[in-house]
Amino acid sequence: MKKCKCTCGCKVKKLIFKVLGIALVANAALFAVFFFDLDGKLLFNVVEPFLKKHYDDMDRKDTLKTPYSMDKFPKYDYNS
Amino acid sequence: MAKKSVTKALKDFWYGKPHTAEEGGRRIGELYEQPNGLFKHREWRGVKDTMYYFYMIWLYNYIFMVKDVMVMGGLVNFAKGVWRYRWVGQTYLPVLHWFDRGLEGMRGEAMKASAWHYRAMVSSTIRQFQRMFASDTRLHGGKQNDKYKHNIAHNETVWGGVFYPWDGEITGVPLEMIPYFVTCHVNSHTVLNYIDAVQSIGLPGDPCPMCQAESGIFVLDDVPDYAPAVVTCNEACDASVSTSTLQDWFFDKPLFSLPMPMLFDDPLVKKYVMREIEELWKFVEDQYGIPFSWEKLVKKLEQQNELQRFEWEKWDVAAHSDYYPVNGVAQALYRIYQTQYGDWEIWHVTDKKVRKILEKCVSKKINSFPQTRHRVIAWSCAPLYYSNWCTWAYNCWGLNVIINMDSLMFDMTIRTDSYENALEDMAQYHMWAPMRRMAVGGMHHMFELWDYMKRFNCDMVAMYDQLQCKGVQGLHGLFEDEFRKRNINAFWIPHALPDSRTVSRAEIRRLINDYMTTVMHEEPLDPSLLDFDDSMTW
Repeated sequence: MKKCKCTCGCKVKKLIFKVLGIALVANAALFAVFFFDLDGKLLFNVVEPFLKKHYDDMDRKDTLKTPYSMDKFPKYDYNS
Repeated sequence: MAKKSVTKALKDFWYGKPHTAEEGGRRIGELYEQPNGLFKHREWRGVKDTMYYFYMIWLYNYIFMVKDVMVMGGLVNFAKGVWRYRWVGQTYLPVLHWFDRGLEGMRGEAMKASAWHYRAMVSSTIRQFQRMFASDTRLHGGKQNDKYKHNIAHNETVWGGVFYPWDGEITGVPLEMIPYFVTCHVNSHTVLNYIDAVQSIGLPGDPCPMCQAESGIFVLDDVPDYAPAVVTCNEACDASVSTSTLQDWFFDKPLFSLPMPMLFDDPLVKKYVMREIEELWKFVEDQYGIPFSWEKLVKKLEQQNELQRFEWEKWDVAAHSDYYPVNGVAQALYRIYQTQYGDWEIWHVTDKKVRKILEKCVSKKINSFPQTRHRVIAWSCAPLYYSNWCTWAYNCWGLNVIINMDSLMFDMTIRTDSYENALEDMAQYHMWAPMRRMAVGGMHHMFELWDYMKRFNCDMVAMYDQLQCKGVQGLHGLFEDEFRKRNINAFWIPHALPDSRTVSRAEIRRLINDYMTTVMHEEPLDPSLLDFDDSMTW
C-alpha cells in the first residue's frame, strides 16, 4: 500500500474544488428551478390543491351563533 | 443568412430579445401555460438582467422571506398560521409569481427599482401576519401573551400613524390589509371564498365586494384573535359601516369607531375629526393604560415626512423626464401600502436603494421605458386582481402608467411645530383616506385629475370604474362629458375591485385592445399579448 503523499496545501485545494463543485451544481439546479418555473408548478399543482382541500375540510365555528353582546363593555364616555 | 441568424441569436442571448414585433420581438405571451399563467419557462432578459432577476430578485426574496419569517415571530408560528388560515396558506406561498407578473418584460433599472418596492411590501406583509400569529390566542391554547396585550387591531383604512404616540409599546396591526387586500393582488382566488361566505348568510351580491370580503373573513371564522381592542372605520362608504357592525358582532371586543366624514373640506368637519382622533387617543390610554407621548408622535411624523419628501422627488422626475425607473404597479402598490400603514424602517431602507437607482437614471439619462407611446395617468380605484394590468399595457401597447390616484391621495407632509397643527394635519390626512378623497370625495377632488394630468405631462387617462361602488357610479357620465369637452384620450377599465368573476382580466385587456385599435388606430408592440387565457392565473 502506498501512503498518500498529499501535502496540507493539496488537501485544502481539493476541499476548495469540492466546495466550488457543490456550489456550482447547487447554483445550476436552482437556476433550473427558477428558469423552468418549477417552484410555480409545484405550488400550483401540488401545494395549493393540498392546502385548499385542508381548508375546505376544516371544522369551523358557526360565527352566526356568536351573541351580539351590546352591553358587555361599559358605556364609553366622550370627553365633552 | 446563417451567419446573420447566428449573430442575432447571440445578440438575443446576450441582451435579450427586443421589445417590438418589427425588431423580431420577444413575444412574451408565448411563455405562458394557459389558462394557469405558469411559465413554460421564465423570460430570458439577456445575460445581465436574467442573472440579476435570478440572484437579486428570485433567490434573494426567497432567502429573505425565510429570514423575515424567522426573525419576526419564528417558523413554528408561521407553520401554525399557514395550517390554520386560508388567506395566508393559499395566498402568500406563490408570492414570487406576483413579482413575475408585475415585473414582466422589465429590463435594467426599471426592473431593479420596481423589485425593491415589491421586496418592501413582502417584508411588511410578513411582519404583519407574523405579529398576528405570534399573538394569536387561537394558536396559543387561548393564552393572551404579552404581544397580544400590546397590539391594537384596526381597520385597514385607519392610518397606522394615529398610533405613533405609542410607538414601541403598542403595535397597530390592520385587520384586513393582509388577510384581504394584499391577497387579491397575490392570489386572486383566495378572496372568492370570503365573498361567497358572506353571501351564503343572506347578504345580497351587489354591495361593494371589498366590504363583502372583509365581512366574509369573519363569517368563515378566519380572523386571528391577536389584540384586546379594535378600532373600526366607515372607510367612507355605507357598505363599510355594515362591515364594522359585523366586525363588532363577531369580534366582541372593546371597539372604537373612528369616523371618516362623508362631507369634508369644511373647517367645522375638520374640527370634528380632530376631536375624534383625540377621543381615539383617550380610548387607547383607557384600554392599555399607557400614556400618550407627544415626543414619540413628533419623531414618527418627522420620519413619515421624510418618506413623503422623497416621494415628491420621485414624482418630480416622473413628471419632467423619461428617466423615472418605477413601473405603474410598483409605484401604486408601494405608495398605498406605505402611506396607509405608516412609517416603518423597511420603507426608509427601500427608498435609499431606489434613490441610488433614480439618481443613476437621471445622471446617465437612462430611459427605462423606451417604448412609451403614451404617458398615462390612472384614476380612481384599481382592480385588485389585475393591478399589474399596467405592466401588460406597457408591454403590449407602450402605455406607460406614470402615476395613479392611489399614489396621489396623501399629497402632504404633517406639521410638527405644535400640537394643534399636528392634529389638524393628521385630521386632514385621515380624511384623505383611500377611496375617500378622489374616489367618493366629491367632484372637486375627483376632478383634480385634470391638474395632475398636466402636472405629470400625461396624454391619456386610464379610468377605473368600480362597478359595485355606488359612490363613483354617479360620476361616470360627468367624466365622459369632460373627456369629450377637453378632448382627452381616455379608456375605461370596469371591474369589481377584488372579484375577478365580474369582469375578467381577459375582458379588461379586450376593452383596452379595442380602444387602441379602433380609436387610436395603433398596432400592438407585442401581438402575442393581445389575447390569451389567464382565467386560472393566481
